Amino acid sequence: CDTDELHELNINPQALNQVNLNLMFTTVELGIASNGSTGDNRYIDWRTNIGWCSYAIQQLANAGGGIAPGDKYTVNAETNAAPFEFTYNDQLKNIAEILKQSGPGGFAEGKYVNMRNAARILKAFSFARLTDFYGNIPYSEANKGTEGIFFPKYDTQDVVYADLLKELDEASAALSTSNADEGFAAADFIYKGDIAKWKKFGYSLMLRLAMRISNVDAAKAATYVTKAAAGGVFASNADNVWVAMADGPSEWVNQNGISRAFDPGDGGQPSYMSATLIDFLKGTNKGAVADDDPRLMILSGGIGEWTAAGFTPISVDPLKQKGMPNGYDQAMLDKLEGGAVNLAKTYSRINVKMLQDSDPYMIMNYGEVEFLLAEAIERKIGTGIAGTAKSHYDAGVKASMQMYTPYDASLTVSDAAVAAYLTAYPYGTTKPALEMIGEQMWVNKFFNWWEAWSDWRRTGFPKLTATNYPGNVTNGTIPVRLRYPTNEVAGNPNYQTGATLPDDFTTKVWWDK
Amino acid sequence: YAQEMTVSGKVSDAAGGEIAGVNVVVKGTTRGTTTNDKGEYNITVDKGKTLTFSYIGYVSREVVVANATTINISLTAEATALNEVVVTALGISREKRSLAYSITEVAGANMTAAREANLGNALAGRVAGVNVSKIASGPAGSSRVIIRGNKSLQGNNQPLYVIDGIPMDNNNFGQAGLWGGSDEGDGLSSINPDDIESVVVLKGANAAALYGSRAANGVINVTTKRGTKRKGIGIEIGSNYVFEKLNDLSDLQHSYGSGSYVNGVASKPATQQQAYEWGDDSWGPKYDNSQVIGFDGKMRPYSYQGDNFSRFYKTGHAFTNNIALSGGNENQNFRASVTNLKSSTIIPNSGYDRINISLSTNAKFGKRITLDAKVLYSEEKAKNRPNVSDSPGNAIQALWRTPGNYSVLDYYGDPNKPGAIPAGTDANSLSIFGKTVGEEFQQANNNWGQNPYWVTHQFIKTDKKNRIITSGALKYQITDWLYIQGRAGLDKYQRRGEALTPEGTGYQRGGARSMGTWDVQELNLEYTLGFNKEFGKIGINAFAGGNRMRRKYEYQNIYGNGFNVQFFPAINNVKGKSWDYNFSESGINSLLGSAELSWDGYLFLNATARNDWFSVLNPATNSILYPSVGASFVFSDAFKGLPSWLSYGKVRASWAQVGNATIDPYSTNLTYSLNGNPHLGYPMASFSQAMGNGGNIPNPNLKPLTVTEKEFGIDFRVFNNKLGVDFTYYDQQTTDDILNATISRASGFGSTSVNLGKLQNRGIELLITATPFKSNSLTWDVTLNLAKNNNKVKSLIEGTKELVMEEPRTRNAFIKNIVGQPFGMITGRVQKLSPDGQPVFYNDGRPVGSAGYEVIGNGIAKMTGGLTNAFNYKGIDLSFLVDFKWGGDILSGTNMRLTQWGVSKQSLQGREGEAPLTVTGVVQEGTEYKPFSKTLTPREAFDYWNSVGGEADAVTPMFLYDASFIKLRQMTIGYTFPKRLLEKTPLQNLSISFVGRNLAILFKNIDNVDPESTYSNGNSQGFDYFGFPSTRSYGFNLRATF
Repeated sequence: CDTDELHELNINPQALNQVNLNLMFTTVELGIASNGSTGDNRYIDWRTNIGWCSYAIQQLANAGGGIAPGDKYTVNAETNAAPFEFTYNDQLKNIAEILKQSGPGGFAEGKYVNMRNAARILKAFSFARLTDFYGNIPYSEANKGTEGIFFPKYDTQDVVYADLLKELDEASAALSTSNADEGFAAADFIYKGDIAKWKKFGYSLMLRLAMRISNVDAAKAATYVTKAAAGGVFASNADNVWVAMADGPSEWVNQNGISRAFDPGDGGQPSYMSATLIDFLKGTNKGAVADDDPRLMILSGGIGEWTAAGFTPISVDPLKQKGMPNGYDQAMLDKLEGGAVNLAKTYSRINVKMLQDSDPYMIMNYGEVEFLLAEAIERKIGTGIAGTAKSHYDAGVKASMQMYTPYDASLTVSDAAVAAYLTAYPYGTTKPALEMIGEQMWVNKFFNWWEAWSDWRRTGFPKLTATNYPGNVTNGTIPVRLRYPTNEVAGNPNYQTGATLPDDFTTKVWWDK
Repeated sequence: YAQEMTVSGKVSDAAGGEIAGVNVVVKGTTRGTTTNDKGEYNITVDKGKTLTFSYIGYVSREVVVANATTINISLTAEATALNEVVVTALGISREKRSLAYSITEVAGANMTAAREANLGNALAGRVAGVNVSKIASGPAGSSRVIIRGNKSLQGNNQPLYVIDGIPMDNNNFGQAGLWGGSDEGDGLSSINPDDIESVVVLKGANAAALYGSRAANGVINVTTKRGTKRKGIGIEIGSNYVFEKLNDLSDLQHSYGSGSYVNGVASKPATQQQAYEWGDDSWGPKYDNSQVIGFDGKMRPYSYQGDNFSRFYKTGHAFTNNIALSGGNENQNFRASVTNLKSSTIIPNSGYDRINISLSTNAKFGKRITLDAKVLYSEEKAKNRPNVSDSPGNAIQALWRTPGNYSVLDYYGDPNKPGAIPAGTDANSLSIFGKTVGEEFQQANNNWGQNPYWVTHQFIKTDKKNRIITSGALKYQITDWLYIQGRAGLDKYQRRGEALTPEGTGYQRGGARSMGTWDVQELNLEYTLGFNKEFGKIGINAFAGGNRMRRKYEYQNIYGNGFNVQFFPAINNVKGKSWDYNFSESGINSLLGSAELSWDGYLFLNATARNDWFSVLNPATNSILYPSVGASFVFSDAFKGLPSWLSYGKVRASWAQVGNATIDPYSTNLTYSLNGNPHLGYPMASFSQAMGNGGNIPNPNLKPLTVTEKEFGIDFRVFNNKLGVDFTYYDQQTTDDILNATISRASGFGSTSVNLGKLQNRGIELLITATPFKSNSLTWDVTLNLAKNNNKVKSLIEGTKELVMEEPRTRNAFIKNIVGQPFGMITGRVQKLSPDGQPVFYNDGRPVGSAGYEVIGNGIAKMTGGLTNAFNYKGIDLSFLVDFKWGGDILSGTNMRLTQWGVSKQSLQGREGEAPLTVTGVVQEGTEYKPFSKTLTPREAFDYWNSVGGEADAVTPMFLYDASFIKLRQMTIGYTFPKRLLEKTPLQNLSISFVGRNLAILFKNIDNVDPESTYSNGNSQGFDYFGFPSTRSYGFNLRATF
């Protein structure tokens, strides 16, 4: 009674036993944006990037509505869990399979060399984001579920960083135009298979990671800053890494996760900007436009009503822009403003031109690279960087101000406006040089709020004032890490021995000194 | 050579009335017939054989066939008969006395008096060892029926349902979970109670062994009604009308309204914006009857506005009408029936309708060939199944949350579009809402907490299911003692589900539309060769056969959001569409056999075996044998000289192995699939098993779990059958349980499947039947069933002591299976303790939560039972069923949130002018613990309740309740008109009754909600979170035959 017909029933007509790994790489590229290549891609942005990081780092503020534990330092289980669950289960899962199957013993052993090394760069990008959130994380044993490792051990953050830097070094070096394309260009919707750009991305990321550990491992930081400078980093905004997004096919699928979270037709996360950021952009003289940061009316779309029908501005006058203070609820705002506050009529919102479903998702930009180079020179980390700290700082400011056109062609800043800004706030004169670099990196990372938060934790810039809302769980200090997801605490036996403990928002990660 | 003769006669009851449908069987054979509506029968039998007359509710009798060709006989009524013939596995009729295992039969009449739409729920409290959980999801929802405890840690634990010998698909179409959702119903709801002749519960592995890999959870065998030989056409009409009313268990505070704390003081809204921000919170000051602005800008008195539940919930109605025709002669008979159920629930705009059509016929061709064919067709339509658990679309939650100073009617909005912002709403209000006229009229700044009227009137959710269950059996009696039979059975259904989230909904302003179809079928082909002969005192009854099962499943869903043309919800009008497709096929080939050896009618030895070959398993390991052996000894017949008060006595013992093959097709190998939704024209691929978050790692060596069971039992009756006891002890071991073990997400997946689980169920079942009083005019019968099951998780994955199951929306608890503990432990964050055991607090008095999850309870009752009392006095019947569950717990997220929102009475403590809230314990300073005692200020008390009722450091034991209950489950009072009154009418029978279901909770231990308010029928039982409220129903039942 054991018939062939019975066996044939178990062949899934919808599945393959081997797949063109380039198709998985495309999934990875989509996944690095919002960790939702095949599902609800606003999940992590909404809960963590916005709900936690954007408020904690005081670029946005929230008096009520949506998900906002970062504004008042409270607990939200999904905020904690989202990056962990979605990063391992989205791009890292697919990257691990690409590396496994194109590696020794895999069905595509030795094939797809360039794609494989591009995947290693995206792996480093993703793991760095994870470890920056939590501290110690499963790394060396991670994503080996198909090999029987169901509860991977935790690796300490220094070990993770050492390997990520090594990976970037090897992968960037191994990328070569002399390798066969093997379908990579057709699958790579970020760089269309441009190997030179991939190499620059690898070295730029190496620079970021090296600088991030510069307070705790100066020697290693110097080694890799030097390697990055030698290897060649981003040289213009044309090198920026963007993940293109689409209008659909439907809600949350293949759309920009950040846009979806703010969309008034969706979750309706309020899009009010923080007073800290608006005040910074308005410059020293709040009563004048001349000293404003040209990005004021790029990042802010003005004060206005935003409904499913569209954005109806009430004021786009730069002088009238106003940010919402962090750590306030409606009653506190009423008291602060001396009367009933209608939020929509009072506070500036993110520019809806940057919140369209099909707007691209920023992964890493040239401006940041210039600031890191400026900082490396200032702090004498590494060797071989051409130019001066000032030249890099100025280039970074210019690049940061002029990088918004992929969102909308109208979001331009003229060279003259950049020059005027740099004249009004000369490098190292207005404030100490490192503080100015830190502040510029902070503005540069609007939308990449998790990055802005990591930079602040490392540099202490910009100088932020913590809030102290009743019932907060950090004792009135800005949180410095995420808690692990509850099912990791409850389920992974390696948690107690290897995780960063105590598992609190106030426990600093290794590089945070 | 035996002399064959035809015997006929009439069967009557003690009062002389004829009994239709009596089983007349030639003892020791499968040959039999039933009496017609005049109580007449006619059977061919060998001279010297014994005829057994049995009928549910009567003591069976045996008569040896001598020379008389007419045998008239009268049967005595009995609560449970002794020598009944029951339908066992594969539809085989057996004398109950020969069975080596416990089996319980429930007559169909028990399910038609006071009704449940779902057959599973109708079994509550009726059968010892059958634990029925009524799910808090409304009348159209699913049921959870567990026989002798849970056998699988994560797999399906519900029994196999067999309809007229055909296994039925009892798939679930969705349950509410952590993120809410609705109970989309199960397969069982298709069955019409009016068509049920009897339900036989094959409880143990032994009883169900012939079903092999599908028998682990027991089998529920449903036999539908059939026609009988009679003169003319018999007509039976039944009507049932019941009202369903809210059983309001809420006990909330009525002294404080909408508001929040400002500068440490409880404050009423001073502005519309504040009223909108605080629209969900009852943390204002004490009512003072002052005029206060509302979320909608209107001024209202700040005082309790009365009961919102009675304003919102309606009276539900269920109206069932049934007509059945039957007729037949010597050679052929038929029954045809049509039943229509129309119902509405207590939630506005929500209901469930069903049409059932059934046709059965059996025919005899010559002396040796018989044909039995049945067709059951059903059409079900459910409208707006309520969302439970988490909020999106949950009107029940919105209602609980409404502050007492609002009438829920204040949320009604546009009278022509309930729940929508009415025309003429001023610009300032629209600006505060951030919405326009016609969109959802939200009472608070919380997009995920819906306006209840918007949910009930603007959301659309319907599902329709068309199903056909059909079977045909052809039997050829080769000789008197040898037969061959073939049977084919098909269960096929198509389900279509549709949903609309309307434009303007808070959390989805653009609106969304989905349409899905399921096409499922299972085909069984079965053949048997049977042998049945007596050699002196030895009887042999044996058969061998095979079965071929094929299952096909296809699912398609189109989802889209945003509409091109406003308020036109056609699927072709959506802006973006995504598509899901799922297909699978699977099959099982089986060989099976059974043999029974009997000695002199009092000693029986049974053995069965079934071998299954599975398509879903790796060919190397896809064959599994399921054996069983058993013995039954009727000692009251074997030994002479036993005391005369012992009417009947039997002991039995058995051993069996059965399985549960809950392995999905294609799930044993890792494969890749294309994403159905490419990005910007770029195709994308990933693992088939986990395109996105989570997913399961397949295991090529997976096999079905095995349940090995030993069962011992004794049945005896004493004092002329006035008192009967049926006692069973069983010991079950589940091995190789498939664990979809939740693993670290860092593995890349959410779970993996392994054959490592071991579980033990040991328990006892007791059935006591008694007739405490009996006279010519009054009879009082009592039936008590009790069962206790001890469950223990023996092992999990190597190195793992705990397996995480479900998490509730409050995110502070998990149901876990823990080695050494019973199945389904509730664990939660408890208050942290200092090394010397003192509770640890923050300086402001909030409790500090423990780092890990501690065991706090178990969601499954240890003991279940039911007590039926039935009185009959001169045609008046009174019967009531009280059932109970004991020893389970429930973690009430409803109560937790009611406290967080300031709605519960618990949240009063610590407010200004109320009983003070004082906490005593320690505070931690570094590694030091210092004594701490504090009477909290009202603001601190607010933070305290927000903390324990929220997600942060919640203290779960505070919201864990004993889920034990005693309920008056059913009561019927009926009157059967005497025959003499009907003589001049075409009526043959007429009865009318008052029926009530879930009438009262006689005992409970939980505030505000029903102890049975678990919202899902999954394996994780014991979480309550804004489920369908408790209801009671009552009405009338009319039956007439012509």
